[in-house]
Amino acid sequence: MRGVLGVFRELDSAVDAIAELRRSKAGSITVYSPTPRHELEHALAHGPSVVRRFTLVGGLLGVTFGYWIAIWVSEYWPMVVGGKPIPSWVPYTIIGFEMMVLVGALSTVFGMFAVARVPRLMMTVGYDPRFSDGDYGIWVECPPDREAKVTQVLQANGAVEVRRER
Amino acid sequence: MATVARPAEEMPRPNIPSANIQLPAVRSYQQVNDEIIATLTPTVAWFIGLGIAITALLIGIGTWIYQIYMGLGVAGYNPPVMWGVYIITFVFWVGIGHAGTLISAILYPFRAGFRTTIYRCAEAMTVFAVMTAGLFPILHLGRPWKFFWLIPYPHWRFIWPNFKSPLVWDVFAILTYLTVSTTFLYVGLVPDIAALRDREANPIRKRIYSVLSLGWRNSDREWRHFTRAYLFLAAFSTPLVLSVHSVVSFDFAMALVPGWHATIFPPYFVAGAIFSGIGMVFTIIIPLRRWFGLRHYVTINHLDAAAKLCLFTSLVVGLAYITEFWVAWYSGNKVEQEYFMNRVFGQWWWAAWIMLTCNMILPLTLFSQRLRRNTTWLFILSLFINLGMWFERFVIVVPSLSHEFEPWQWTTYAPTWVDWSILMGSFGWFSMWFLLFIKQFPVIAIAEVKEIVPPRLRTHAATTDINVSGQHVDYAPETPGEHE
Repeated sequence: MRGVLGVFRELDSAVDAIAELRRSKAGSITVYSPTPRHELEHALAHGPSVVRRFTLVGGLLGVTFGYWIAIWVSEYWPMVVGGKPIPSWVPYTIIGFEMMVLVGALSTVFGMFAVARVPRLMMTVGYDPRFSDGDYGIWVECPPDREAKVTQVLQANGAVEVRRER
Repeated sequence: MATVARPAEEMPRPNIPSANIQLPAVRSYQQVNDEIIATLTPTVAWFIGLGIAITALLIGIGTWIYQIYMGLGVAGYNPPVMWGVYIITFVFWVGIGHAGTLISAILYPFRAGFRTTIYRCAEAMTVFAVMTAGLFPILHLGRPWKFFWLIPYPHWRFIWPNFKSPLVWDVFAILTYLTVSTTFLYVGLVPDIAALRDREANPIRKRIYSVLSLGWRNSDREWRHFTRAYLFLAAFSTPLVLSVHSVVSFDFAMALVPGWHATIFPPYFVAGAIFSGIGMVFTIIIPLRRWFGLRHYVTINHLDAAAKLCLFTSLVVGLAYITEFWVAWYSGNKVEQEYFMNRVFGQWWWAAWIMLTCNMILPLTLFSQRLRRNTTWLFILSLFINLGMWFERFVIVVPSLSHEFEPWQWTTYAPTWVDWSILMGSFGWFSMWFLLFIKQFPVIAIAEVKEIVPPRLRTHAATTDINVSGQHVDYAPETPGEHE
């Protein structure tokens, strides 16, 4: 993996640089920011996150398991309480609900980690500790013949530092 | 006719919309990192506080060992009052946790601006309060080492829990709540731990932070999925808060005991839980903002907004108290009516009036804007609320069991030194975890505070700000309370 990293002090400089890099189809862009910003999200124009699918599947599995365990145990160990049916769906809704929340929440976090590629064992290239402080970063993964063009775009849009990494 | 202008400080202060609370004294992202990370340095006062907490915890542990050796009889149970301080304190700590989730999770989808700087503290409080609460049903068992029998798992005895029992619902609700709250706290912490990792010079601490931050790099891919996942976790936590204390209330409401068997219990318990938790948030955050020099992050306007929430929940709780009496009167049930008379004007009048005074009468002072913005009064009031909410649970548990249907069963109840020591130990346990947390992790969410701090721009002057929609707007004339 090789490319060019630009460090920006101002948010709008970074947004302008992203727009120009996307227009010029310079390469794959990764943007670093100390906090999530709508301006960057709009400039990158990514689609909606797929985390929601993990949430839906996890929630459905959880509620199914919650009802199933309660009904299966009741049938396995039949005990009449208050003259009610052996599998009573009203109280079992509590178990179903709690399991839906538990499995849904955990699968959401699992999904986030999976699609965001976290945990990351190595920091590899294209990162600078300043990006968790106050600066913005743009990492453009590109072949060597495009590095000069990318460097020129980053500098023209106000990057305070541009460096090639591999 | 001549008029005399009032001095500016006496003029009524503007009513700040809670979604538009700003931090004008915080000017840059670097300042946020510098000031919040600086709070992690341990001080002598912190070590003293930690020492006191651990001492209280050791007293509690020692007393518990004594109780296991001697049996539950040393704990002041007096048949038929077989639920006492342990169940009262269990409900108390579960309730404390609820305001944390309200502030961190429920207010998040509603974009309430005042939550940003207090939510981390409230969320940590939730996790440690639920950890404390979870101990009490175990302490209450005669054979505490058998607590896992409530969890459904296959084993050689082929015995399964009764899923129609509120005690089993409790196990599911509390374990789900603890797991989801801890996950929510940790997920929110990951970007902040990455900020700590990038600043850390000590190689061992840097290594630990690297592992805990999971290699987080603040990339657009990470933020995009993080914000969505965080919203879903908040969305899951919102009904979870309502369900957990409703389930706790079922422990009582499913029984036919006078004073317990009421359909009002779930909303009554949820409102009380949120009210007590906000009280504990004030108890923690007011000294913390002073000791850590964070008064320009947790401003008077933040406390004012939280005080309004406190007042609202107090009114709901007060309405529930009155409704309970009305239900008893309207039911025509002599046992129920006799029980409520005994609760307020008979045997337990002192406990009931502590509850009513602390939870219903004193919070009415928060109608005064001057008192809502007075941190000394808010702190004193929060101590009364903590006391009042513990007594609320005392009034629910003890008077009912000591005054059931048959007069020959009527009795009294007095906690022993064992109960008080274990109660003190629970405060030590909670405080120990909280004190350890605030010196290892940022007590204010760094990444989220940066969202309301104006970013550095080429095309805007330094005196601009962003509103809640993320648009750049000029600062309004100085708003009172923002710098305090």
